[in-house]
Amino acid sequence: MNTAANISRGPWATALHRLSRDRTALVALAFFVLIVLSCLSAPIYAWWAGVDPFKSTLDAVITIDGVQHPVMELPTTGLALGYTPIGPTWRLGNYFLGADNQGRDVMARLLYGGLNSIVIASAATAFTLIFATAFGLLAGFFGGVIDMVISRILDVLWAFPVYLLAISLSIVLITQGISIGPITIESSSLALPVFIIGVIYIPYVARPVRGQVMALRQSDFVMAAIGLGAPSGRILWKDILPNVSTTLIVFIPIMMALNMLTESALSFLSIGVQPPAASWGTIIQDGQTLLYTRPAVALAPGIMIVISVLSLNVFGDGLRDALDPRSKIKLGRG
Amino acid sequence: MTYAILQRLAQMLFVMFGISLLVFLIFFGTPGVDPAARIAGRNASPEVLEAVRHSFGFDQPFYVQYLTMMKKIFVTGDLTSFVNRGWKVVPAVLDTIPVTLSLVFGAAVLWVVFSLIIGVVAAAFRDRWPDKLLMILGLIGISMPVYWLGEVMNLITQSRFHDIWLFAWVPPLGYKEFGKDPEGWFLTLVIPWITLSILYIGLYGRVLRASITEALQEDYIRTARAKGLSETRILLRHALRTSLIAFVTLFGLDFGALVGGSALLTEVVFGLQGVGKLTFDALQNLDLPVIMTTVLYASFFVVLANAVVDVVYILLDPRVRTS
Amino acid sequence: MKKLLLATAAAGLFGLAVTPAQAEYQTAHRGGTMRLVAHAAAGTLDPQINYTLQYWQLYQGIYDGLLAFKKAPGAEGFTKVPDLAEAMPEVSNGGKTYTFKLRKGIKFSNGQEVTVKDVVASFQRIFKVSSPTAGGFYAVIVGADKCLKEPATCTLDGGVVGDEAAGTVTFNLTQPDAEFFDKLALPHASILPADAPTTDAGSTPIPGTGAYYVSAYDPNKGMTMSRNPNFKVWSEDAQPDGYPDTIQFDFGLTDEAEVTAVQNGEADWMFDQPPTDRLGEIGTKYQDQVHLNTLTAWWYAPMNVNLPPFNNEKARQAVNYALDRNALVNLFGGPVLASPVCQVLPPGFPGHVDYCPYSKDPGTKWSAPDLDKAKQLVEESGTKGQKVTIIAEDTAVSKAIGTYMQSVLSDIGYDADVKPISPNIQFTYIQNTNNKVQISITQWYQDYPAASDFLNILFGCASFTPGSDSSINIAGFCDKDIQAKMDKALALGVTDQDAANKLWAEVDKDVTDKAPMAALFTPKHVDFVSKRVGNFQFNSQFYWMVSQSWVQ
Repeated sequence: MNTAANISRGPWATALHRLSRDRTALVALAFFVLIVLSCLSAPIYAWWAGVDPFKSTLDAVITIDGVQHPVMELPTTGLALGYTPIGPTWRLGNYFLGADNQGRDVMARLLYGGLNSIVIASAATAFTLIFATAFGLLAGFFGGVIDMVISRILDVLWAFPVYLLAISLSIVLITQGISIGPITIESSSLALPVFIIGVIYIPYVARPVRGQVMALRQSDFVMAAIGLGAPSGRILWKDILPNVSTTLIVFIPIMMALNMLTESALSFLSIGVQPPAASWGTIIQDGQTLLYTRPAVALAPGIMIVISVLSLNVFGDGLRDALDPRSKIKLGRG
Repeated sequence: MTYAILQRLAQMLFVMFGISLLVFLIFFGTPGVDPAARIAGRNASPEVLEAVRHSFGFDQPFYVQYLTMMKKIFVTGDLTSFVNRGWKVVPAVLDTIPVTLSLVFGAAVLWVVFSLIIGVVAAAFRDRWPDKLLMILGLIGISMPVYWLGEVMNLITQSRFHDIWLFAWVPPLGYKEFGKDPEGWFLTLVIPWITLSILYIGLYGRVLRASITEALQEDYIRTARAKGLSETRILLRHALRTSLIAFVTLFGLDFGALVGGSALLTEVVFGLQGVGKLTFDALQNLDLPVIMTTVLYASFFVVLANAVVDVVYILLDPRVRTS
Repeated sequence: MKKLLLATAAAGLFGLAVTPAQAEYQTAHRGGTMRLVAHAAAGTLDPQINYTLQYWQLYQGIYDGLLAFKKAPGAEGFTKVPDLAEAMPEVSNGGKTYTFKLRKGIKFSNGQEVTVKDVVASFQRIFKVSSPTAGGFYAVIVGADKCLKEPATCTLDGGVVGDEAAGTVTFNLTQPDAEFFDKLALPHASILPADAPTTDAGSTPIPGTGAYYVSAYDPNKGMTMSRNPNFKVWSEDAQPDGYPDTIQFDFGLTDEAEVTAVQNGEADWMFDQPPTDRLGEIGTKYQDQVHLNTLTAWWYAPMNVNLPPFNNEKARQAVNYALDRNALVNLFGGPVLASPVCQVLPPGFPGHVDYCPYSKDPGTKWSAPDLDKAKQLVEESGTKGQKVTIIAEDTAVSKAIGTYMQSVLSDIGYDADVKPISPNIQFTYIQNTNNKVQISITQWYQDYPAASDFLNILFGCASFTPGSDSSINIAGFCDKDIQAKMDKALALGVTDQDAANKLWAEVDKDVTDKAPMAALFTPKHVDFVSKRVGNFQFNSQFYWMVSQSWVQ
């Protein structure tokens, strides 16, 4: 019965060895870790710069090279219409990327926002993987009616266009929040986007897992275990799960990248993180109303998303090659 | 075979039923979305509100409302909007299809052509610098949020650099009908086509390169090499052909989803009145009849694409057929 | 009224040729297509149901009532003039009976002549189609109560009586109504053919008597208005002839794209207000094409007086003291585009007397916020630390204001957060007491120039319906004494409008003191037109008179 374990120990070590020699993947990983670390330092940055990224400071005044500049300014020429925030000063700690329409430091918000984006993407990934694995295992192992029911549910989720599902769920949830039994998700909590994004992608992961479990169920060692009368739970846990885990691990960076994109898209449709909290998507949305005067507000978080997602994707590639060079897992898309 | 088709059809119906039910329940399950007051108008008196509620049938049990709505979509086709009263939804959705088709079709041409080039070139130069460069570019394409890319494109072509010769030709946002103004139709769609296709070029280029590389290690390719066929010929005539199976399946699924309205973000950013934009606007207004119709329409395409891909797969790949 | 005249004069400074009210029709400018753009359609075309500024503005050239607001620039637009009626009616029976004589020879766009029968049928139709204001504005007509209960069989028996031989229509009211003329001049009281459908006409246009008729309509694409072939001018004041041959209204562009289209001369006017990041650009590069006009409207934040913490008067006053209205004005686009207010009635409105208790130095005008006072009031009210959720609209300005208010409320000691929701849903959402909304951000634009349209509608006991999505008294404010004063003012208005307005000024003060809301600012309207648009005239009642401008 320990065959599974024996099979898997070798490949893990090999994979790690392969990965450690893949320079591109390592650079990508380092990049991502760097982004995470700088986002983690957001409170330090805000403290050092002396700004509160969640408080409107419309009347703030800053000093650059001894000259005072108001953070929000009305034009003095023409009809004097429109209220424009200060543009990038390129001075760290002093409105490096300028201000948004509430006079808040965009750089500080960018760091805090990144933190939220990464937290949401990771939590949603965990959510998706847990539920998708459960569904995949159950459907693939037990087959029959269970498989039928689960597969049809996945079909519905799959065919329901992703953004439509997200939008409809959010409109419902943002105004009301939800309570499932004792758990109540406040409508402004981060759990909301996590839940929405997590649900959307369950079929993307559950389907390949189900396929793999179905194949494993026919394999000799599982048949043998069933023949010996081992309980289903034990077989699932001890024999099948470890074999599926490679697939799951390969999914982690890919899903992270995908979730990050989805989170930003949801926020762009203003159904993600609620103000005054920030995520890269909400900053892009804030920046959208300043696109013509202060494009930096929308460009900066967009570039951060591209870099993070890119590094996750490159690392994901490396990880896949290392774990399973002939894997058929492909990037999902929304 | 007939049984398989029937089963497929039953599954399609089930999925669409599930989706419609889900949409219906979500919307009526939400407090605060009761359309009666929004239909009645601001400051309507309670009597007026009651009259509206009654005439729209909101005082009937849910299953009756659901069945009435389904009947109005599929049988009589006279479902009207909750927001733009009297506006027939089914013809409205049909009207937006040309816009979405124009967008998706043009983008598909771009992404097929460019991803084929990228895939083949990368496979031909595999593990050398052109391959690496193309693959990284492809990854960047995949890593960009499409709406953000659209915004940046707009910023460049509509505002910042609109006056320089390179972008002076870019017309204002919006859709122009092909029948009335073919040139305008083409020009307004160029930027949206590019924006939408970048993601898919990256994705398909990578998929194609991977499957060509895989195909090149198959036995029959070795045979072909042994026969002394030229490397270009092997790549284009043999390896590419086998690899196209994966390509076609993927294409079918994506094309179906996009025609169904997944190009929503692109349509919103570029102000194209397609199915996606219609859905988006309806969602903003919680206009249930429009949402229901577009969602059913969209899921129909997704499910249909799945089914078609299955069939095509069987036809293309002899291995699947025999097993 | 002083303020409004000033506004018109100011508009003249911004590069608009001031035209005398009774300008000669200039045949040289006749013709061409006026191209308008808007983000989206505004719902049903039915003039007796649609309740949006977007279409009311256009209905001016399409439909007529017995009376009309004068088609003249500025505050003169508040004057009521006879339209399909030959003259203002004879009033008898102590202000309860009105007799109108119908003009002869006026035809609908389908060629039918307007008869007494059409007038009677049109008033029945208000109830048959459940017009939003059927219960609010027209319930005063005899027989209306029955019609509200059973719309399908509405006859208004004894309420609206036609005499075909004499060509007159007589209205009997259950009580005198000082605002009845205003109500007759609104689009909901348009005269339509008697055979118009008795259900919402939706996107099928109903023939009207105006200079134009709707020749095509698709809510997803646009609306086309063409010249009414059966139209002949009968009154320059009520329904003048228009300049453009066609008015084309297209839907679907984003606000940003609308600005670009007007800038490039691809459209002549945008309905939506330009987004804030484009204001600077159009205020400098295109200032000759911008027209600014004060609106009789306000942005305000109703506070639910039945829910903690704002069931405490001190807590509500604290919010009023804390808000920096200059900041709010700036978020809206700057002092040129809005002015701070503390009270309900907008400047220039009947009954308005400057009043502002919630300021660093209380008096008539707002000067600066008083944060210390606010914090002290919160402390005294014992509501410190309570959770407050602000419901804003998901539009750039409303969201910015919501975010700013969240910051201020946190400052004075609340645990505040802000939720922006889709504008179409927000307005009904904040009205329903079931949604337990504590404070929200919304706007109110006048229907007609009467103090009751702000005070009695927004803060009267009758407009508060718990558990209903249609409860326009969002604060749920109902004060017996104030209500009694309002009823008195309404009754007084029938005989002595000036005395009534003085009373309304007192009511305004009382309501402001009780603070069921925080008044934010009075907005101005930005009209951004293309270079070729000439003869721009802004009417205080229905805004820019589209058909009175020319494009060639």
